[in-house]
Amino acid sequence: MFRSLLLLILVFSFQSCSKGLLDGDLEKNLKAMDKMHGYCNNPYRTFSKKEKKICEDKERAAGPDGEIGEPLNITKMIEDFRSGGTNTVYQGMSVNKNLWEASLILLNQYPLDIVDSQGGFISTDWIIEKENLNQRCLIKVNVTSQELVSNGARVKLLCEEKDGDIWYQDNISYEEEEKILTLKILDIANELSVTEKLS
Amino acid sequence: MKKLMIALSAIAAAVGFTATAKADISVSGSSNVAYLSTAGDGANDEELAVGNTVSFAMSTTTSGGIGISSSLALSTDYDGNNSQTVDGGNSVTFTTGGATIVVGDVEISDTIGSVGGVVNGPLDDASDLDSSVGTGFVDDDGTGVELTTAMGSASLNISYVSNDNTDNFGALNSSAAGADSAMSASITMPFGAYSATIGVADSDTGESSSGASVSGTIGGGTVTVGYSNVTTITGNADITTAGDSEVIGATYVMAMDADTTISVGYQSAKDADSESHTQTDLSVERALGGGATVYLDLRNLTGDTAANMDGTAIAFGTSVAF
Repeated sequence: MFRSLLLLILVFSFQSCSKGLLDGDLEKNLKAMDKMHGYCNNPYRTFSKKEKKICEDKERAAGPDGEIGEPLNITKMIEDFRSGGTNTVYQGMSVNKNLWEASLILLNQYPLDIVDSQGGFISTDWIIEKENLNQRCLIKVNVTSQELVSNGARVKLLCEEKDGDIWYQDNISYEEEEKILTLKILDIANELSVTEKLS
Repeated sequence: MKKLMIALSAIAAAVGFTATAKADISVSGSSNVAYLSTAGDGANDEELAVGNTVSFAMSTTTSGGIGISSSLALSTDYDGNNSQTVDGGNSVTFTTGGATIVVGDVEISDTIGSVGGVVNGPLDDASDLDSSVGTGFVDDDGTGVELTTAMGSASLNISYVSNDNTDNFGALNSSAAGADSAMSASITMPFGAYSATIGVADSDTGESSSGASVSGTIGGGTVTVGYSNVTTITGNADITTAGDSEVIGATYVMAMDADTTISVGYQSAKDADSESHTQTDLSVERALGGGATVYLDLRNLTGDTAANMDGTAIAFGTSVAF
C-alpha cells in the first residue's frame, strides 16, 4: 500500500513538470549516460526485448563514429562507368539538411541528372509530357544556405520547344512557377524540421 | 507546363503529409545470420542461427507537450527453429520534459551492477554454455509502473510491479498465491569523468538485491566495473539453498577506428549453493555501411555448470539493421 501511494505521488508530481527535481534535464542526463553505456544499453532507456535487439543492431551498424555509411552500390558504379560519370554524386553536405531533403523529395518523381550535395545543386533531366511532345522542361534547384531560411533555396525552370528536329529555348519567364516550387520546398523543409524536433 | 506544376504541387502535398505521419508510426527491423560453434560433448555442436525482427513503433505528442508511445514487434527468433513470436505491446510510455513514465508490463532492476557480458545475441542466447550459478529474482516483471526522472545531473529510476503474475492486464493488489509485488530504485550520477549507478530491489517473495557499477573513459575506451548482491529464494532452478549470490564483473569497450569496435568482458559469480563460475567474453565488430555489421564473438565459461555445458563457444555472423 505504501509503495502504491509513494509511486502515485511521484507520478503525479512529475507528469506535468517540464523539468525534473533540482532543475534536472532528463534528456540531457540520458544523453550523458548514452556515452558511457551506449544508447541501447542505457539502463534508464526503456525497450522491449526485440526493440533492444534492433537498436543494438543499428548501433553496431553505425560503428564507433555513430554514422551508418553508404553501402557500396556496385550496379551504380557500373552505370556511372558506362555513362562516363555524367551522373555526379558528391558525398558530404555543406548546405541545410532539411532544405536539401525537401528539394530531393519535391523532385523525386523525375529523373535527376545532377545531384551535388556538396554544392547544394540538383538538376532534373529533361521532362517531357506525353500530351505535349514538342515541349520539354528541366528544373534546377540550388540550396544556398546552411540555415533553414526563406531565401535558402533558389529554383530555376528552363523550357524548350521543338521546331522540326531542333530544340529552341522558349524564352518564357516562369517566375510564378519558380516561386510556387520554392514555397513547396520551404513547406516540406519546415515539416521535416518539425518532425525532427518531435522525434 | 501547368500540368507539370499541378503534378509537382500534388506530390509536394502528398509528401508533406507523409513526412508528418512518419513521426507517428515508424517501422524498423533487423536480420541476423550467425555460424555458431557451441559448447557440448562434440555432437551437433555446429549450428546456423538465422532470425528476423520487425518492430512497429507508434508515438504522438499532445498539445501540452506530453509524448505518448508504444511498440509491437514480430520476429522469427534466431535461437529456436520456426520460432515466430510477437513481442511488446504490453506497455505505454508517457514522456514529459522532466520524466518518463511506463505503465503496463514493467521490469524491475534486480541485477544492478551485474556486468561482464559483451557478446552479441546469437552467442548470448544459443551458446549452450549453462552455468549452475543462480542470480537474480525468480520473477522480475509484471503489471506496474516505472518512473525515470532527473534530479540535477543525476537520473533516478523507480519501478514498481504490483502483480508479477500478469503483464498488461491483471489485478493490482491480487490476493492470489504467487501474485507478488516488487520494487526497485536506482540512481546514476556523474562524478568527474566517471558515472556511478547504485540500486536496490525488493520483492514480497523474500528476494532482495543491491548493487553498484562505475563507468568511465580510460585509455581511449570505456570501462565499466560492477558488483551485485542478490538474496535469492529456491524457486530458481539453479538454486537449491536460499541465500546470497554475488556477481562481480567488468567490461572494456574500445573503438579501433571509425567502424571497428573491440569489447572484452569478465564476470565471476557464486551463489548460496556454493557454486561458482567465471565467464570471459570477447567481441570484435566491424560496420560495413548500409546497416550491415560483421562480428566475431567468443565466450568461455568455467566452473560449476550443467553437464558438457562449459568450455568455449564461438560465433561468426552478420547483423543488418533496416
